[in-house]
Amino acid sequence: MKDFLQIIFTTQFGYSVLRVTTPILFAALAALVSDRAGVINIALEGIMLITALTGVLFSTWFHSAWLGLLMAVIMGTLTGMLLGYFHLKLKTNVILAAVALNLLASGGTIFVLYLIAGDKGISSSLASLTLPKITIPLLDKIPVLGPILSGHNVLTYFALLSVFLMHYFIYKTPMGMRIRAVGENPEAADSVGIGVKKTQFIALAMSGMIASFGGAYMSMGYVSWFSRDMTAGRGFIALAAEAMGGATPIGSFLASLLFGFFDALSNSLQLLRVPAEFVQMIPYVATVVGLVLYTAAKRNQYQRMLIKIGRQLEPEK
Amino acid sequence: MKKLLVLLMCMLVIVGMLFVGCKAEEEAVKEVKEEVAEKPAEVDVLKIVLLLNGNLGDKSFFDSADNGMKMLKEEYGDKIETRTIEMSYDETKWEPTLLDVSEEDYDIIIVGTWQITEMLEAAAPMYPDNKYVIFDTAVNYAGGDFSNVYSIGYKQNEVSFVAGALAAKVTVSDMPLANKDKVVGFLGGMDIPVINDFLVGYIEGVQYVDKDIKVAISYIGSFSDSPKGKEMALAQYNQGADIGFNVAGQAGLGQLDAAKDVQRYAIGVDSDQALIFVDSDPEKANLITTSALKRVDNSLFRAVTMHMEGTAPYGEAEVLGFAEECVGLANNDIFKSVVPKDIRDFVLDVEQKIIDGEIIVSSAFGLTTEELNEIRNAVK
Repeated sequence: MKDFLQIIFTTQFGYSVLRVTTPILFAALAALVSDRAGVINIALEGIMLITALTGVLFSTWFHSAWLGLLMAVIMGTLTGMLLGYFHLKLKTNVILAAVALNLLASGGTIFVLYLIAGDKGISSSLASLTLPKITIPLLDKIPVLGPILSGHNVLTYFALLSVFLMHYFIYKTPMGMRIRAVGENPEAADSVGIGVKKTQFIALAMSGMIASFGGAYMSMGYVSWFSRDMTAGRGFIALAAEAMGGATPIGSFLASLLFGFFDALSNSLQLLRVPAEFVQMIPYVATVVGLVLYTAAKRNQYQRMLIKIGRQLEPEK
Repeated sequence: MKKLLVLLMCMLVIVGMLFVGCKAEEEAVKEVKEEVAEKPAEVDVLKIVLLLNGNLGDKSFFDSADNGMKMLKEEYGDKIETRTIEMSYDETKWEPTLLDVSEEDYDIIIVGTWQITEMLEAAAPMYPDNKYVIFDTAVNYAGGDFSNVYSIGYKQNEVSFVAGALAAKVTVSDMPLANKDKVVGFLGGMDIPVINDFLVGYIEGVQYVDKDIKVAISYIGSFSDSPKGKEMALAQYNQGADIGFNVAGQAGLGQLDAAKDVQRYAIGVDSDQALIFVDSDPEKANLITTSALKRVDNSLFRAVTMHMEGTAPYGEAEVLGFAEECVGLANNDIFKSVVPKDIRDFVLDVEQKIIDGEIIVSSAFGLTTEELNEIRNAVK
């Protein structure tokens, strides 16, 4: 137990929680914006893979990590738009189209990697660049908080910032309002002159764009290469985080942080005498437990609401 | 405007398909031609196929096996025909591929890893005329008639012992990146016998130098998830390990990245992993003190050569070690420049003692889980 606390209460552990959370957080926000528009994007896994490879390739060619990031973001936005095109224009089921995109990404990225680098597993033969880590002045001098919060990859800070940007966007801007209206009730939105398909298309493009930051982080921050199926289910864990967070930016952030915590815990816990299989199970068990708690809470809320409505109706009888 | 766009896209797709079609046809024609050309010589050409239950590009285990095929081709040229089939990490594809290949007219069918063992045990008796070679594991010869199967095992525990001795010497040394904590790391792919064979040898090697040194042990649970490998390696380094040993195929490459991030040492596995990064990332390469080589390529080369000479021991299992040059420590320039001479001499001396039989290294094969846990917990 003492060892356990020793692992949890270190600044390195806090630091690694944020590092592990970053890709999940980006993907959760990406899921959020599409979910709010009523077209849930489950192609996040594929989009992150594609953009992770794009980032590596272009940062190698342009000798600039930032241009690599830019190309990754463009590529992610295009992939999101492609999904929108399939679903909104060609009328395919959005889930099926996304599954197809995920499969395509898994095989396609390896194919492209093989064409360009001659490797089928990992892009280590390319001299790709990583995005810089940022030391925050003043903050890094504070004990405990400094080592946890300072010195992260620039995208980690952008992820945290995105939570607030997304909050502002969804609740305070006309476009965010339109996205929510379309998601809540497309017919009603249509009746007041909001272009439903156009809004959903924009939401999917945005979703692809946000996910691409997560992808770029995977290959240009988290590690310094692209490898086969490197997202390893993070796009799906993010969907769970978004659902658990009740499709709100702050909620999704907290849920992502929870998953990040358990993931980081599973990485450190093995050093103690805990069986490896049990430790590897933790993040997934946390997902299931989280979803059950969320559903239970929501059901309670719903029942309370019904009772409340019932009370309000009673006097009128 | 929109119509124009759609038209353009359609054109693109059609033209693209045409090109793809052309190419495939060309290739098909070429293949037919090749086949025709090769027909007359087929009689005395030795046809070998290597089935990999993973993909090339792991920079360690599977790449080494494929390198064996290349070495054979180089040595024997037209006398043999080699083919490598990547069955990918999808387990459902392995058995059908093995059976398909068994139906064809290959002279030697090579497969590897413990995951294939049972499939081969089912297939080999069905095709008694085929010859099979299985590496990194052994079929259960007591459990059936496997007179057409030659199993190759490796004394990875022995090379791992040497790696452990090196790690222990580094952690107590005053090398620039070594810290005061007496902790070394071990990053395994999965909790399976082959990996644990590495582990047991490593632990014994560490304890041979100093009984007080602790070993931080983690299993990634995957041979492909390199970000997870990096995360776990970082946790070990943060716990005070100043050198770590990765035995996890592609996933283990994460450890090398972690070593660069926190500026600590690493030991590579299977292939010479310092050489992989020496051009693209010299800073990382310089932290990989050495690699515990598991020369799958040499062992396959040896097996096929014995087959051609008629001396291949089908129906038996062999365990190859230093003497057959199937395991060894990468004695490269980085090893020579990064590791001080007294440590190098010590390590080479340990290696010699193992070859001479002065040091006997235990194996994880045949150990029960309880015995293994005891060994693991003793050093945590």
